[in-house]
Amino acid sequence: MKWRQTNRLILLLLPACAFLLLAGGSLMLAFMESGRGENGFTWTYYSALFERRELIDSLLYSILITLSSTLVSLIAGWLIVRTFYQLIDGNGKWMVWIPMLFPHFVWGYFVLLLLGQSGLISTFFVQAGLLEDRTLFPILVQDQAGVGIFITYVWKEIPFVILMLLPVYLQLPKQYKEVNAVLGGSGADWFKTIEWPWIKPVMFETALIISAFVFTAYEVPGLLGVSYPQMTPVLAYEWFYSASQDERAMAFALLMFVALIFGTIALAGFALMNKRRMLLSKSSHRY
Amino acid sequence: MKKYLFYISCLIFFIFPVLLMLFKSVTTPWRSGVTLNWTLRGWEVVFQDSRVIESMWMTLLIALAVALINLLAGVPIAKALSHRSFPLKNTLEAILMLPLFLPIMAAAIGLHITMIRLGLANTWLGVTIVHLVPTIPYSIKVLKAGYDRIPQDMLNQGRMLKAGAWHAFRTIELPMLIPSIRSSIFLAVTISAGQYVLTAIIGGGSVLTMPIIYYPFLQSADDTVMAAFSIAFVLIPAAAILIAEAAASLLAGRFFMKRRSVL
Repeated sequence: MKWRQTNRLILLLLPACAFLLLAGGSLMLAFMESGRGENGFTWTYYSALFERRELIDSLLYSILITLSSTLVSLIAGWLIVRTFYQLIDGNGKWMVWIPMLFPHFVWGYFVLLLLGQSGLISTFFVQAGLLEDRTLFPILVQDQAGVGIFITYVWKEIPFVILMLLPVYLQLPKQYKEVNAVLGGSGADWFKTIEWPWIKPVMFETALIISAFVFTAYEVPGLLGVSYPQMTPVLAYEWFYSASQDERAMAFALLMFVALIFGTIALAGFALMNKRRMLLSKSSHRY
Repeated sequence: MKKYLFYISCLIFFIFPVLLMLFKSVTTPWRSGVTLNWTLRGWEVVFQDSRVIESMWMTLLIALAVALINLLAGVPIAKALSHRSFPLKNTLEAILMLPLFLPIMAAAIGLHITMIRLGLANTWLGVTIVHLVPTIPYSIKVLKAGYDRIPQDMLNQGRMLKAGAWHAFRTIELPMLIPSIRSSIFLAVTISAGQYVLTAIIGGGSVLTMPIIYYPFLQSADDTVMAAFSIAFVLIPAAAILIAEAAASLLAGRFFMKRRSVL
């Protein structure tokens, strides 16, 4: 009986293991390519990375855009859920889903259409006589500072944050509010002892998903970025298709380096929060 | 008050962009000093170009294949993670989520040479396989949440009444999982249909999906056509959901009849 149970469990785990093999295998292959030298494995491409001025600039630029857009979308999405979760669960859900229907680059195109120098807002200002010429409109898209990329990501990720946090708020037991009130807890106590510990794991996970995505996705910066500085994924993409064999290997090294950093943060974070996650998943069985 | 604030901001931030795009797709380009005219040209260009039509079918085919494989891989592991206990379960769950935190471009370029060796590069099957990397973790998450909502007692009851694994799945788990399955199909389809880089690397430009046609022309083609094309992206998830619902009701109808005949 026990043996059969175990067998069945293996059957349940099998497809997921095949998937892990695909994802893990692809990273292994990328790692091997990143160190392909004339005689065996070499780390030269990794050290070569940091001798490139454009890469240092690109990393700083990417970190700035990633941190700012993750933080803003996370906080905005969280405030929206916390204020309106009952409404969203009622009739509002489909509205929040609408931006999810469109790929990121379509949303980027929309931002370009709206905020570009020849966009709708500048045209409107010129028509209304508030601006003499559209070239006087500030460059918000395809700009040096990455404002267009930032706006696109914030706009597109807020609905994602809402949809990630919504079930957490809906599952928050209502009795806790009463317990807090009965024990004379204030609003700050409620937040510190109940709300924040309850949402922390999902907040962390959402922040990590968004920052990893923003840091490594090509589409939006490829469309709305400038030629210098470029975001890291754009640089990696160009190196990958470069004629030089060295740059190709450096593209692999760069992506592996980024993968290592995000992988470490993710695993460390999960190890720290595992206990909490387990309690949450157990409690959600009963209701 | 709170209600209005919510609906108005939803309208401005989530619905207005789509409406504006829709409006733009049926009007001539907006410039100062030029009067607006209605036109169907944008939609005509999109729907009369055989490459675009072909790309829509290709996108839909890949998205549906991705969604199907997502379900086949996601449902069993979701059940195991939710209702079984085994060593290293939490670790396994964390590792399964890892692809969401890693650069998917690394996975794509890592697979590129292997795909060429296996003859999968430049084929829709190769593109489908690489689209699994960013989608399956989400499906596992959504389906596990679905399984968490099924009480263990319910599964025990099925076992007590001597239902086989398949019978129990069809009559107890599947009906309760429907909302999660729907979300997981929706997510897989929208993510798959929005991939440009993965498709470009593995498909090598010969697997024509909508992003492959749309993305390079974003800045060169005229706005009326691009606005129409932007809206056309909605067709993929819409068609996929319709097909999934039709398949489900077809299957459910069969199941229903079968259940009756047993009684």
